Order: sequence, then structure tokens, then C-alpha cells
Amino acid sequence: PLSPSKRTTNTDYPWILNHDHSKQKEIADWLTMEIKDFVAYISPNRQEIEIRNRTISRIRAAVKELWPDADLHVFGSYATDLYLPGSDIDCVVNSASGDKENRNSLYSLASFLKQRKLASQVEVIAKARVPIIKFVEPHSQIHIDVSFERTNGLEAAKLIREWLQETPGLRELVLIVKQFLHSRRLNNVHTGGLGGFSIICLVYSFLHLHPRLVTGEIDPRDNLGVLLIDLFELYGKNFGYDDVGITVQDGHPAYIPKREWRDLQPGRNPFTLAIQDPGDPTNNISRGSFNLRDIKKSFAGAFDLLTDRCFELDMATFKDRVGRSILGNVIKYRGKPRDFNDE
Amino acid sequence: SQCPQKWKRVFCTLCNSKKHSRDRCPSIWRVYLLKDEANDKALPMHRLYCYNCGRKGHFGDDCMERRSSRVPNEDGSAFSGDNLSGDLKRQYFK
Ligand SMILES: [Zn+2]
Ligand SMILES: [Zn+2]
Repeated sequence: PLSPSKRTTNTDYPWILNHDHSKQKEIADWLTMEIKDFVAYISPNRQEIEIRNRTISRIRAAVKELWPDADLHVFGSYATDLYLPGSDIDCVVNSASGDKENRNSLYSLASFLKQRKLASQVEVIAKARVPIIKFVEPHSQIHIDVSFERTNGLEAAKLIREWLQETPGLRELVLIVKQFLHSRRLNNVHTGGLGGFSIICLVYSFLHLHPRLVTGEIDPRDNLGVLLIDLFELYGKNFGYDDVGITVQDGHPAYIPKREWRDLQPGRNPFTLAIQDPGDPTNNISRGSFNLRDIKKSFAGAFDLLTDRCFELDMATFKDRVGRSILGNVIKYRGKPRDFNDE
Repeated sequence: SQCPQKWKRVFCTLCNSKKHSRDRCPSIWRVYLLKDEANDKALPMHRLYCYNCGRKGHFGDDCMERRSSRVPNEDGSAFSGDNLSGDLKRQYFK
């Protein structure tokens, strides 16, 4: 149990300050409210959105000035409103001539932006599979990645925005799972973690295949707490990763026996996450997440921690519940304190 | 499972289960707030999928195949016909 002082001066879960739900009769409702508070807490406020939009417009204008046949678009988590505070903005430059993905172009854009004081700490990564330039925009201090002549990121963002429209609860649960994996350093694809698109597909298919949701018995927004625990239970304990893949073709999330997915490259290790790319059925979008063992273990641990806390608080008196957090048992938010976005 | 007191059976006075005690009953947290409208819907069997074998028509907890995950599932999960209400449950187990 926490000491009394730790209850009131917590900085690890700032979303509960002035938002106490300890008097809720059902533990699951308390957790639902905490999830909504967490999402409101980390969501950008109007000023942050304005700064971000102004930053992108300036860079976009500069790209068009340098290359009149080109345009700059935002994709990734900023294009879908699924970013955590401090995430990089992913952009892509596409042109009518389609010739901007080369060493010379990368360097000329980098120096043009530097000269216009739109970029500092510039890095040109020309040799990667996806060549990019990385920089920090000096006014806003926002980190920006620019890739070239690619449309798949834009198509994925468009699809995800459709999913968010038709799937209440998707945004909230994705943000929680992202923050959870981020604080355990399991969200980086380069180190075998789960990428943003894979996380979205896991939550999206969960929300369409859950018994209470496939039958239309509940509104997910009223049940985020129990659904979060059910989600950690599914992917931490029960999902048959060795035998089952996930497909999200044509807006119909479903499972598929891996043996029947003909283009899936059978590796030496059957314990892998397999999610069919909605834009290319031969592609497994989570093939880079080789650290599935730790990802699964962390989900199982989250299930145990959340249910332990529920059992503990269920037995506690209302006096002992005040100022406590359920979500804080699995998610910490460290960083600059933020203003609540109560809009 | 190495416990010498194993003969001491657990029993849950909340849900009559012999798999957990009253203070660790999943019904403490597995509580859903149902929609207001009356539930007289048909169960969409063609849209149920199994997390264990990947096939259609049943939930993972109710799969007849050998278990794929190495983590045991002794007490049931959300993905079970038991986690449906009233008439939907009857349709599922028919
Ligand atoms: Zn029980
Ligand atoms: Zn099955």
C-alpha cells in the first residue's frame, strides 16, 4: 500500500489531480473515468495545435518554394490524432516529377530549411531503406522526420481515420496501450517493439471481436475500464500467436489460421505476431516486432497489476480509496506537467 | 501449485466458483454497462472468431483444439460464450 504522503503528491499519475472517482460503486467505472481523464490530460490543447499547424505550414511553404512541383503532407500519429506529447511529426514530400528521393535532393532541402531558420540539429539519413531528413524546428522545438515520394503512409492514415470514426473507444485504448508500451520501451520497431500501426490493428480487431461488442450489447465508451483489462488479458495470456494471424481487410477485422495465410513467410520461430497489411495482403506489418515475448509478458503483467489493484480497492473503505489511482498501477506519465484539456 | 495445503478448497461466495476465492472474483471488475435498448438481437455466429485456432463460429475459451498459448486459462476470460447475456448466451450454446 502507498504511504499517505505519496497519495497526495503523486507526480507519476497527474491525471487524477482534482479528478477523484474513488466513490464510484463499480471499480470498472472508476477505471473508465480514469482512462478518460488520462486521455484528456495528454491530448493537445488549442495552443499546442496552433503551434503545430503553424510549424507545418511554414515548412510546407518552404518546400513549395524550393520545388514548385512538390507538396508536403503529414502522416503517422499526427495525421490520426494518436500521438503522445513530444512525439516526432512524420512528413512526406511528394512531387509531380517523383524524383525527390535522392541524396542531392535530401541535402538541398536540408540546407534550404537551415538557411530559412526552419531547421536545427539537421541529420540527413540518405542510405536507409527509407531515406529521411530529421531535424528540430527551432521556434516550436518540435522534432520532424521528412521522407520522400511515398504514399503508403498517407493511405494508412486515411484508413485509420475511417476506423476511428466507426470504432468508439479505439482512440482512448490506443493511447493507453501506446503510453504503456512507451514507458516500457517496447514501442520502438527498431528494437523489436510494437509500432503504432500494429498497436492500432490489435486494438481495432479487439474492439470488433469482443463478445460484448460483436453482439452490440455495450457502448465501448461506457466500458473502457473493463475493456482495457480484457484487452491485456487477451494479448497477455490467451491469444494463440503461434497459430493465429489478424486480418483487417475491407473494414472487417477477423482472425485467420496462420497455415491458411499463404504469403506469410514461415520463420524458424512460430511465436510471432502476424497482422496482414490492409494495403498489401502479402505483407505482415508486424514482422519487425521480434520481441513478442517481452510484449506478451508486459501485457500479462498489466492484467495482473490492474486486477490486483481492483481487488485491493474493492476491499478498501471509501476513506482509504481517496486520491488513489487504478491506471497508475500500469501507466506513469513523467514529463512537464500539462494543463488539462477539458474542452 | 506446490502448496501442501492444496486440499484446502477455494470457494467464491459471489459466483459459486471453485477456482478462486471471494476476494479475487473476476466479477468484481468484469462488469459491463449494458445499452438501454432491450436486447432481442440474433447472435451473429459468422462474425465470431477464435483467438486459439483462428476459425469462425466460436470464442477462444470454447475451442476444441489444443491450447496454443502456454499461459494457462483456468478461470475463463472475456472471450467465452459465458460472457454473453441472457438470450444471446442461450443462442450460442444451442
Ligand atoms: Zn467468483
Ligand atoms: Zn478455435
